[in-house]
Amino acid sequence: MSELLERKVGIVACSGEELAEGTVARLAALKVLNELRPRDTVTICLPLFLAGGAGDRAFAKLHPTITVDGCDLRCAARGTEKYSSKPTASLVVNELVAECGLQQPEGRRRLNAAGQKAVEVTAERLAALVDQALGKKAGMTAKVEEPSNAPPGDEREVACSCGSGVAVTKLTIDGRTVELVALPLIFRHLRERGLGQDEEAARELFEVVKIYNAVPPEAEASYREAVRREYAAYCQKEKTP
Amino acid sequence: MNPEKTRVVVVPCSGIGKPFGTVSREAAYELCDELRPGSTRLVALAKLVLGDEAARELLARHPAVTIDGCKQMCASKMVKQSGGTVAHEVAVLDVFRRHKELKPEGIAELNEAGQKLARVLAEEVAESLDRGEQTVKGASHV
Repeated sequence: MSELLERKVGIVACSGEELAEGTVARLAALKVLNELRPRDTVTICLPLFLAGGAGDRAFAKLHPTITVDGCDLRCAARGTEKYSSKPTASLVVNELVAECGLQQPEGRRRLNAAGQKAVEVTAERLAALVDQALGKKAGMTAKVEEPSNAPPGDEREVACSCGSGVAVTKLTIDGRTVELVALPLIFRHLRERGLGQDEEAARELFEVVKIYNAVPPEAEASYREAVRREYAAYCQKEKTP
Repeated sequence: MNPEKTRVVVVPCSGIGKPFGTVSREAAYELCDELRPGSTRLVALAKLVLGDEAARELLARHPAVTIDGCKQMCASKMVKQSGGTVAHEVAVLDVFRRHKELKPEGIAELNEAGQKLARVLAEEVAESLDRGEQTVKGASHV
């Protein structure tokens, strides 16, 4: 993956509403997003990969993503891989419960004590995986950041990408309007690195764009030209005071 | 619960980032566990994302109530994409507009107002189901 947006790890929870383990997955994800690693993580609702737009489907391409599933169906892991990109790591609550010798969680709406314990254990494991993904710490021991000053229960909204925080640019290519994700981010990143506008630069630019966008092989030349023009316009605009 | 006896499938959104998503889920639990346990069946939206066969079969046999927490309307869209029939499409935001005093806060745990909003929403859906209506008031959120 490009270094473009690696500073935030994406967390996708199955939210399996039918099972207590689904509730454990969701609450563990929220604990990491809200309390353990609020500055390092962002989330998205799993169904947005299908119900949302191109920006939503690019989520796992833009963020190293860790999935948390309640059961062996592994809807979050499989869904993320199928519709966005392969997750960096995956957790399954019922496997973790067995591995740690915990009691079975119960109560899909209100977790019992075993469920609460499973939330703690899952969140700690998840936080450790976040650290690994960011290269902050080797090993599986969770590092807990200083808690925020907010009083208990005073949750902020988690860093949610619903509606997608990822920019989508519409370009006309071969007479068709196509959506490309993350172009402004890519342009800014490459311009800051001093990428010029010659033929070699256009090739490098297009290789990065292709990481985040599906490009039909037969239309590569047209896409590349359209992206090159868009980048030139971006550079011109940046020069203008 | 015997699926054959299920008359309505209830699909809440899987919202994880905002209190309205939590209201959606709480309302679904209220409806399925407390108000109409004998005639409803909760289905996890994540299963529809993957095209789970058992979930699609349920949707093929029973009409669905969808409860969505944001304008993306994931639950409604996914039920339709899965071949199901949305009999009642509810948007939490629209119900909130009619009950502005019940402002939901908290995601992992809803405040009291949010829990009341979920209860109100569930009651409206239950009554609507009893009357055999095809929509509930305030289901026009776009």
